[in-house]
Parts: sequence; structure tokens; C-alpha cells
Amino acid sequence: MDKRKSVWNVVPAGGVIGMVALVGIAMVPVLRPFLIYAALLVVAYTMYKYLVIIGEAEGRIKALKLPEKQIKVQPQGPSFQEVLRAIPDPVMIVAGIEPDDIAGRWIVFANTAAQGLFRMDGEGGLLVSTIRNPEVLECVDEALFGGISTSTFYDLAGGARDQIWRAYASPLPVTGPQRLALLTLRDETDARRMERMRADFLANASHELRTPLASLAGFIETLRGPAKDDEKAREKFLDIMATQAERMRRLIQDLLSLSRIELNEHVPPSGEADLTLAARDVVDSVSLMARDKGVSLIIRAPKPGLYPILGDRDQILQVVQNLVDNALKYAVRGSEVTVDIRYDLSLEQAVAGSNSGAARLVLLRPDRNVHDFYAQVTVRDAGPGIRREFLPRLAERFYRVEGQKSGDKLGTGLGLAIVKHIINRHRGGLVVESQSSVTSDAADVLERTPNEKVATLPAATPVTFTAFSACFPQARAYGLGADTPRLVISDGVSRDLKDAV
Amino acid sequence: MGAHIVKTYQEELDQLSAEVVLMGGLAEAQVADAVEAVARRDVGLAQSVVQRDHKLDELEKDVERKCIRLIALRQPMADDLRKTVAAMKLATSLERTGDLAKNIAKRAMVIAEAEPMTPLTRSIERMGKLVSSRLRDVLDAYKAGKLDLAQNVWASDTEVDEHYNSLFRELLTYMMGDPRTISACTHLLFMAKNLERIGDHATNMAEHIHYELTGEDYVEDRPKGNTLNSIE
Ligand SMILES: Nc1ncnc2c1ncn2[C@@H]1O[C@H](COP(=O)(O)OP(=O)(O)OP(=O)(O)O)[C@@H](O)[C@H]1O
Ligand SMILES: [Mg+2]
Repeated sequence: MDKRKSVWNVVPAGGVIGMVALVGIAMVPVLRPFLIYAALLVVAYTMYKYLVIIGEAEGRIKALKLPEKQIKVQPQGPSFQEVLRAIPDPVMIVAGIEPDDIAGRWIVFANTAAQGLFRMDGEGGLLVSTIRNPEVLECVDEALFGGISTSTFYDLAGGARDQIWRAYASPLPVTGPQRLALLTLRDETDARRMERMRADFLANASHELRTPLASLAGFIETLRGPAKDDEKAREKFLDIMATQAERMRRLIQDLLSLSRIELNEHVPPSGEADLTLAARDVVDSVSLMARDKGVSLIIRAPKPGLYPILGDRDQILQVVQNLVDNALKYAVRGSEVTVDIRYDLSLEQAVAGSNSGAARLVLLRPDRNVHDFYAQVTVRDAGPGIRREFLPRLAERFYRVEGQKSGDKLGTGLGLAIVKHIINRHRGGLVVESQSSVTSDAADVLERTPNEKVATLPAATPVTFTAFSACFPQARAYGLGADTPRLVISDGVSRDLKDAV
Repeated sequence: MGAHIVKTYQEELDQLSAEVVLMGGLAEAQVADAVEAVARRDVGLAQSVVQRDHKLDELEKDVERKCIRLIALRQPMADDLRKTVAAMKLATSLERTGDLAKNIAKRAMVIAEAEPMTPLTRSIERMGKLVSSRLRDVLDAYKAGKLDLAQNVWASDTEVDEHYNSLFRELLTYMMGDPRTISACTHLLFMAKNLERIGDHATNMAEHIHYELTGEDYVEDRPKGNTLNSIE
């Protein structure tokens, strides 16, 4: 077997020899002075053996780190290590000695891609400190001690951005007690995502299109039959049919854009965008609608161009657009919808909300420790608010709050889902804060005392509102003393609106 | 095998935290698989969760034994002692987490036989994702020895409660609407409760990590939402 010895094998051996020698010496009186020397000798020998063993153990551990052998591909070419480093897929070499020592697997080499993927500090370290997924660890063990090549799916959830990798482990030939295995990873996120998305899209689209389609078919039937010659009914029905067709068109458009966004969700956006510009564009485009509803739209934002965020301009615009659309939809006549932009916020500040005691929920939390500064846009309306218990399901596809009057047009329930996916792609965050008039406690009280006519002042109904805050990583910090978030009020109301209001 | 390799003191400590991280990986996978078994009505997956639970139990015992051995033989001081104690506490929390995941998986097998209740199971899934991410963050904090990561987990404790409360109300509406769903809904309710408790374990672990790194207990009160205490 192996030649490894332990202290516990050596110490008794030294002890026995020492004892025999000592007894022998003690028998002969003349030799007694040597007794002390002999004892010292035994002690020294045992110490020496002990140190050798400790040294060997350390040596073995050191040996686990692969020496950088300069085996060249060509005489003047790169070494094999350098070749491995250049491979775009993550590649690691793992070493282990004992199968029982469950934590004893070391990474002895990791190429640049692997170090980047796992945010490693160097090329080595304990394997579990880098990968703790039990299935991958099992594959590695199979390769190390079973000599078999296997592979497994490996879900790598970094923040909210799920990636699906496939991990391959195969044994490497070595001599000696130490075993080596090669662990390579391949990104299969795209393939799997496509698959899942196609299924989702079909399911969603067919389900949601069924209702308007059924109604269209019904009207066509009526127009062909009973209402064939009824001029007035025909006009009315065609109107309804046009509305339904329009709804279907919007639905398909939303579904397609959602699919497109989802497809690119794990590809970080390139380019820079500006929240102030986006907010102005949106406010300008909806100003007519706001005037019709008698709602005043107010932007409070710094001058544009000061603090770019990392992002895709069209998508940022769509986020603001969807939030403002919702706010306008639920705002009551004569109220205000405000769009506030703040910047140089820390992550905690960005998801903190206004601390007003209203219900608040983080719908999407930004990745921690990735970015230092966030810019935030908050869209707030003084509408009826959303009850606390409905908050967690917002941003789920096709989710609409029950029993809510959504004004003139029925939404598709995809607006916030799109917002969330875009923000997710930008590694930002989304927080909702809302105060609704029917808090559940108040509702309980109302039910319990239905006909008590006590002449008390009615409890002040809380001011209801809904505020959605989206935050995005900034391309750079704007201020120097960046610890205090600032609210910069610029031109207040956008120009067209001053005329409109 | 038999022969012992002589380990240095530092190696023993490192091995201890490596084993705790290993347990963490297992517990994470157990929770994720249990929730997936609920969402996909996958009885086979649920069964394998139940079967794998013993691994966590064994690992916990092993960690505990190693900690006691270390304390007895090496008499660690200050930082090292805290490290050892934290490892032991984390192992306990992770083992409990595994038990809760097992319980979810068992219930998943039962409700897989009832009619699908997609909106509800999707809420469970959403809550499961949130809890898993807390678990992941706290283990990352432990592995990297980063205080701020642990504090983030600790501070975001109320989110799970919000989800739990919302799900609770959703379930009540469902049960009142269709009494035939009551038994399945009760299982879902307990699943939600289990997930909430896993979230609490994540918070506990964040506290232990805080203690390990600073030597101080968390003095602030826990951020608690208005939990419904009616169904303990
Ligand atoms: N500002 C708000 N005030 C009150 N309820 C809101 C507000 N914003 C969103 N909601 C609720 O959230 C639900 C989902 O919003 P979302 O924008 O995703 O869909 P939608 O507005 O119904 O449809 P669309 O896809 O056309 O935007 C809405 O149906 C509504 O119930
Ligand atoms: Mg909308």
C-alpha cells in the first residue's frame, strides 16, 4: 500500500528500543554514567523522526500545488499551463488524496475564465470554498476515485441572474497517492433558456389570446347571422371588434418584447443612458394624455448628462414609460404624478424606500458588492394604492390586482414583468411602496362594527399612494462627497406641461 | 486506510469550515430541489430529497465531533475559539434547514396527488427562491469572512415575512372559495411556514457569522415585519 507512516507508529518503536537499551545499561553499574547520554539519544531520535513526519505531511500538501513545469508546445511556444489559461471555458485541475476526507479536495490550477466565474483570488484553494454544489462535487469524486468521466447540470445563480452550466469531470493519469481530475464547465444558459422560453411563450400567448379571439369570433357570427342587416348594430360591433383586435395587437407586442428582453437578460447591456433624458422623453410623450385626465406630471431631476448609468437607452426608456403609464392609469383626476430622480445612492439607500410607514417590498434586489453607486427613478401617484398582500405578486406575468378598476383600458398585466426583466438585466433593483385606504386591519374593524353610530371623528384616512422606484448602477460617481444622496431640483415641471397645467 | 495524516492546527480549522461550507451546499440543494419538486409536481425529486437528508445529519455529527476534539486537544483561543463555536452552530442550523426541506418534500409528494393549484405553487416557488438566495448569501458571507454580506442578509429579514403573509392571505381566500382544496392548502401553508423558518435560520447564521468575525453579539433588535402569529 502506501508508505505513509504516522507519528503513532514511530513513537512506540522509539520507546521500545529506548526501554530495552535503558534496562540493559542499568544492569551494568559501570555504564551508569552513560545512562543519561543514552536517554538523551533516544529522545533526540524520537524528536527527529517526529519532525521528519511533520515535514513530509507539509511536503505532501505543498506537492499538491502544481509546479509550473515548462513543458512547451513548441520549443519557443507557450507552456501547457499558458494554453489552458487561454481557453475561454472555465477549466480547473482538482487534486485529492483520500476519499474519506470529504473536505480534502484542492484546486491546484484554475484558468482565467474559471477564476473570473468564481471570483477566485488565485489559482488554487480548497475546492468547496469555490464550488459547494453537491452534484458537481460528486462528479469530481467519481473522476478522482472512481476513474470515471461524468457530467452534470450546474445552476449558478449569481444574484437574480440564473445561469445554467454543464460541469464535466474526467480523471487525469497520475502515479502516486495523489489523484487528479480535470473539471471543465460549459455555459448552456442560452440553449436551455431558449427551450424554456419557447414553451412559456406558447403557453402564455395561447392562453391570453383565447379570450379576445373568442369574442371576435362571436361578433363575426352575429354580424353574419342575426345582425346582418342592422346598420347601427354593425357599427357598434365593429367598434368593439376593433378594440379587441387592438388589445390582441398590444398583447402580442408585449409578449414579443418580453421574450426578447428575457433572451438577452444575462447579457449585460453595453452603452450609457441618462435617466433624466428618459424621464423627459416619457413625460413629453404622455403629456396630452395627462392633460385629458386632468393629472399634472412633475419631474424633479438633475440636469441631463451629469451621471450616466450603464444601460440600454431604449430599455431604460421603456422602464420609465411603463411605470408612468401605470401611474397615470390609476391617478385620480386633479392629482399629481411625480417622477423623481436621485443619484449617487448606496445599495442600501437605493432599496430603502421613503420610510413613510407604508407597505414596502423589494421586488428585485440589486447584486450586492458589484457597483458602488446607483441612480434611482421614483414614479409616484396618488391613486388608490395597492394592498400589502398583493405586493409580492406584482411583476409576475399577467398578474393584475384583483377587484381593481383599471380605468378605461384593460391592461395585459405584462408592463411590470417587462420592467422587472429589464432592470434585472441591468443589475438594478425595483422597490414598490404603497399605502392603500383599505389596510387589512381597518377592513376587519369595519366588519366587526357595522352599525355602531358613535359620534366620533372618523379616523383620518391615510393618504393613499403608489410609488415604484427603479435603480440602476451608475457608470461613475458624480459627486465627490458621495455619501449624502442629493435631490437636485431642476426645471421642475417640463416645459410643455407648464402650458398644459 | 487507517493511517492518520498529521494535520496542522490551521489545517484542522480550515477543514472544519470547509465541512460547514460543504453542508451549506447540500442544504442549499435540498431546499432548491424541495421547492422544485413542489412546483413541478415531481414525486421522484421529492423522494430523493427525503433520501438525501441523512447526509446532512451525518455531516453535522461529524462537524460537532471535530469541534469538540479541537476544543479539547488544541484549546483554541480568541478568534480560533469563535471560529470553532460558529462552525458548530452553523452546522446545527444547516442540519435543521435540511430537516425543513425534507418536510417540504414530503408534503410535495402528498399534494402532487391533488389537483394542480398553479398560482399557489408559484407563490411557494417565489418564496423558495427568495429563501434560497438568503441561504446562498449567508454561505458566501461565511466562506469569504465578509461582515457586510452577513449584515445584508440579516437586515433583509422582513422580506420573507412579507411573502409569507401574502401567501397566507392568498391561501385563506382559496380555501374559503373552494373547501375541497382545504387539505392541499394546509400542506402549502406548512410549506410556507417551513420556508419562513429556513429564512430565520439564515438570519441566525448571519448572527453567528457576525459573532465569529467580531466577537460581539448582535445588539439591535431583529427587523421583524408584522408576522401572523395565529398559526404556529
Ligand atoms: N400605480 C399603480 N397603482 C395601483 N395599482 C397598480 C399600479 N401599477 C400597477 N398596478 C397593479 O399592478 C398590475 C400589473 O401592472 P402591469 O403594468 O404589469 O399591467 P397592466 O398595467 O395591467 O397592463 P399593461 O401590460 O398594459 O401595463 C396592474 O394590473 C395593477 O393592478
Ligand atoms: Mg401597466
